[in-house]
Amino acid sequence: MAKSRVGIGADKQVIRGSGLMGPRDSGPPMVVDVGEGKIKRIRPLAYETEYDKKDFNVWKIEARGKTLTPPLHAIPGPLAQSYKKRVYSKNRVRYPLKRVDWDPSGAPGSTGPGGRNTQNRGTSKYVRISWDEAAELVAAELRRVGGTYGPEAVFSQADMHGESKHLSPSHGCMNPLLSLLGGYTVQMRNFDSWEGQTWGAKHVWGCEPVGEMAPTSNLYPDIAQHAELLLFWGCDPETTPYPIQGMMSSRLCYWLSEIGLKSVYVCPDLNYGAAVHADKWIPILPNTDAALHLAIAYMWLTEGTYDKDYIATHAYGFEKFEDYVMGKEDGVPKTPEWASEKCGVPEWTIKALARDWANKITSLIHGNAGPGIRGPYSSEPARLEAMLLGMQGLGKPGRHQAKMLEWWSWVGWFPLPFKGIVSPSVFMLTEQVRPVGAHTVEEGMRPSYMGTHPEVVELLKPAPYAPLQLIPRCLVHEAILDPPISWWGLRAFLEPAHEQFTQYTYPAPGCSEIHMIWTDSPCSITCWNDSNTYIRALQSPKIECIVAQHQWLENDCLLADLVLPVTTRFEMLDMGMDTGSGLLMSVFVEDECIDPVGESLSDFDVVVKVAEKLGLAEAYTKGKTHEEKQKLAFDGSGVEDLITWEEIKDKQYYVIPVDDGNYEQPPGLSRFAEDPASSPLSTPTGLLEFSSSALEEHFPDDSERPPVAHWIEKGESHDERLSSERTKDYPLLCMSNHPRWRMHAQGDDVTWTREIPTMKITGPDGYQYEPVWLNPAEAEARGIQQGDIVKIFNERGTVLGGAFVTERLRSGVAYMDHGARWDPIIPGVLDRGGAINTLTPHNVMSKHCTGMVVSGFLVEVAKVTDEEMAGWRRDYPEAFQRDYDLATGVSLSGWLEQ
Amino acid sequence: MAKTFVIDVGKCCGCYNCQLACKDEHVDNDWTPYAKPQPDTGQFWMKIQENVCGTVPKVRMHYIPLLCQHCENAPCIPACKDGAIVRRDDGLVLIDPEKCTGCKDCMTACPYGVIYFNDELNLAQKCTGCAHLLDNGYKMPRCVEACPTDAIMFGEEEELADQIAGATVLQPEAGAKPRVYYRNVPGRFISGTVYDPVEKEVIIGAVCLLTSANHAVETFTDTYGDFWFKDLPAGKYDVTIKAEGFEGKYFSALDTAKDVNLGDIPLTKE
Repeated sequence: MAKSRVGIGADKQVIRGSGLMGPRDSGPPMVVDVGEGKIKRIRPLAYETEYDKKDFNVWKIEARGKTLTPPLHAIPGPLAQSYKKRVYSKNRVRYPLKRVDWDPSGAPGSTGPGGRNTQNRGTSKYVRISWDEAAELVAAELRRVGGTYGPEAVFSQADMHGESKHLSPSHGCMNPLLSLLGGYTVQMRNFDSWEGQTWGAKHVWGCEPVGEMAPTSNLYPDIAQHAELLLFWGCDPETTPYPIQGMMSSRLCYWLSEIGLKSVYVCPDLNYGAAVHADKWIPILPNTDAALHLAIAYMWLTEGTYDKDYIATHAYGFEKFEDYVMGKEDGVPKTPEWASEKCGVPEWTIKALARDWANKITSLIHGNAGPGIRGPYSSEPARLEAMLLGMQGLGKPGRHQAKMLEWWSWVGWFPLPFKGIVSPSVFMLTEQVRPVGAHTVEEGMRPSYMGTHPEVVELLKPAPYAPLQLIPRCLVHEAILDPPISWWGLRAFLEPAHEQFTQYTYPAPGCSEIHMIWTDSPCSITCWNDSNTYIRALQSPKIECIVAQHQWLENDCLLADLVLPVTTRFEMLDMGMDTGSGLLMSVFVEDECIDPVGESLSDFDVVVKVAEKLGLAEAYTKGKTHEEKQKLAFDGSGVEDLITWEEIKDKQYYVIPVDDGNYEQPPGLSRFAEDPASSPLSTPTGLLEFSSSALEEHFPDDSERPPVAHWIEKGESHDERLSSERTKDYPLLCMSNHPRWRMHAQGDDVTWTREIPTMKITGPDGYQYEPVWLNPAEAEARGIQQGDIVKIFNERGTVLGGAFVTERLRSGVAYMDHGARWDPIIPGVLDRGGAINTLTPHNVMSKHCTGMVVSGFLVEVAKVTDEEMAGWRRDYPEAFQRDYDLATGVSLSGWLEQ
Repeated sequence: MAKTFVIDVGKCCGCYNCQLACKDEHVDNDWTPYAKPQPDTGQFWMKIQENVCGTVPKVRMHYIPLLCQHCENAPCIPACKDGAIVRRDDGLVLIDPEKCTGCKDCMTACPYGVIYFNDELNLAQKCTGCAHLLDNGYKMPRCVEACPTDAIMFGEEEELADQIAGATVLQPEAGAKPRVYYRNVPGRFISGTVYDPVEKEVIIGAVCLLTSANHAVETFTDTYGDFWFKDLPAGKYDVTIKAEGFEGKYFSALDTAKDVNLGDIPLTKE
């Protein structure tokens, strides 16, 4: 795509990545036509624009007489395709904002005129201030708070998922500055995408660093050639991958069906993948998968239909597991009858599934979702699934756990054979979640190429002070409201299983509590656990100042005292790479596209503004311009020996030829399957642990995560089953998935997707409500009709939504995606925007598992009566009088003081 | 020679990329004389229609991407008193935004409901096939380019002959000779699960016979006890289920105006 190319109606053509995960990969590359300073169109990049197909050494999978090859153009998802609306959204923050009744001259805890009025966060509006005033205010508060309490009083919330950028990453730009000031407290992200696998499955099969089955090399060639049955267990290949890596999953699913593999979907909803790919849908009640797993194990043990030879050589503790399943341990055999009552699947279907799995060569498919993720006690189903795979010869041909996203995997494994002759690594300029006390490059998890490029090493050298204190993201509210607190594990994001046996406390010895928050990840309200309590925590007078830097005035921004406007990726220079779409790897130059919207600055330059006020600009920037950094990013990218800077600057992208060696990688855990002695797992015994030896040693009496995986009906942490007494008030299990039309909290304001029937439901009042799915029987029992305004609620709060009455959901369930923007009527109590996470459980997954619980909890749904709505309008007029754009939803103008 | 769309419904995953790419091209962009800008919301020159078929747990979905059918006998053309609608030599049907007077007669005449009205501009608007791009060297309209699964194909009729074979058109009875072909549009289904209520087991291999006035199909229950009769025309059907050792079951006059899920069907032992 030579620089001389221009699109119709445009005067310039540039490339941008479209991924929204934040770190590492830029996502599918897009061609952007710019005319008269505006984005005219955004299209997928065709790889052959500047190159010939033969240069790519295109990969293929051959199986059953058919061949799969990747398309020769990027295949982005719908949010990428509509991103122009995101850039020009009416909800863009266009200039620095200050909360009207936050007066920084007020003493901590002060209220009224001249006070800090922290209690009004979420209610009070904003006024425009200058960049100079904003930067001075942030700098002054940093000096004051740090000077008063010590550097750890400043809390950095800087982890995933924003636009995937490198030179000015969406997350962590403030961290080096805070480090230069002496340190900070880091928000450590809990393992939100694989909670169950990390806290559970790792104790079965190791599989560091995540806990999902690994290595993942060549899984799909092997599956295509050998597997017969695919169990999509809580997996939606037509949703979760879209905004991260695009839509290779869609093509792969169609192809696997075409070559004759059967796809069975186990999930409460007919998710978007099941809707078009399923040969069989087994609707299960949310978060009851462990019961179904146990009944399958019971069937296999009873009928002798598991791989006994494999278990004899590959398993540890199998007898204890057998004792539990058969009822010797607790007197309750885990029969299909027992399970059916819990999981809502008919007994005969459970038996049929167990036999189908035993009879056919089966792989389990996930998409960073599924039973092992975010429900109460999700360590248990994640462990059980690993055990079931083990009982059928895990690692033998066609017998794997595989994923429908993250095609690059974690440590250089590629489930599709698309890895290039080099695997590029464009650096990220700042670090998101530097582990506590991590002073060295290695500990900070810096990429491996750093040693070879002195200038890059210098640029990326960690700032002097590592954080000395952390708060797990899922415990921030508790840390603020009820310190001291303690928890297990989570010193770093991605850490080995044995780290789970270390207990941490907050405040850490010698460290202050936090009194100031600087966030570039303002989405906890709509993405994290018990966020109504989180809202109340951030209203605490203890938190004297909250600074948010973000592109859009949404979610946690509405609790901030200062909001700093940030550019999108279209308004800044960058270097990009696509190493994860699963098609072909590429590196691309992201040159000047459009001018910043309003007074926005890149995340990096936002911090520079503050650094200037602190006299630290030179130390922070290391004296490099954006253009110089772009060149350095190329120099360290891994393709610098394959194409010159001049050539890539002209063509703007480079496609990396596929490595023929890809096909030689052993698939999955095949080496372990072949010889566990020479290729052991990373578990303490090296074997598949049906009773965890580590848990036997450290937590032998934990009733919520015992050494042998159990069905946990209830426990001290959670009471969220249909057997609970709470069901007399809250009889439905709430499921909350990855949203189809957003990337978590990203993209809720896109007018074009908001017209899609499953994105928003326009209520009789014209407000676009987040859909609440109900089966027709559940709707009828409550007098609810399609399009009604409904409330979904439990003890923790109430959220309004629009009724979506559908056969795509089984009974017993209410389903609402997370990520809708918070639009408080009563902050911490009642939300109109659809932020379902305000109702999610407070406690972590279980007492030794520091994961969050944001799906599979009890609620009730009711129609909102006209009287009820009229009452809210009367009692909270300011919430209803806020300017609301009928197409965009919550908008900047609604929060500006007129 | 005529530009033709072929849409394989069996490969449409409902991602809406086509609908969104259309908006990306036409909203806020003025391609006069081909088209004036599309309003931000409310118009869908390419529109995904969602179809949810059946009841829990026998539910399937399909999506129909609906756009101007660029008909050979386009009823909108004679309906337009102002001569604003023309069928180009390449087969694309365009509304000239300079000539349209906003009378809406074309909207009434169109059997497919794919012409929209722009109140602000007093103008009828619809899909142009991205003629402004095709006339300037682009190979395909934006919706085709954006389709991740190649479900939407575009080209000369002859080039697409293999795909057109066996495809259908929407409302052929309207006589408009549309140039948009659809493949793999599913018909109705009748389905159920057969089981033994005493043993609490599915019954595999039960013989299921579907009959109607001019239709007789036999199938067997699968490993889940499921049977499916797919792609049925609307009509009345009888279903007989037989399994060795069990009393048979008979369902009469099942109406496939909607898809039919007979649920979990218990068979009594003889």
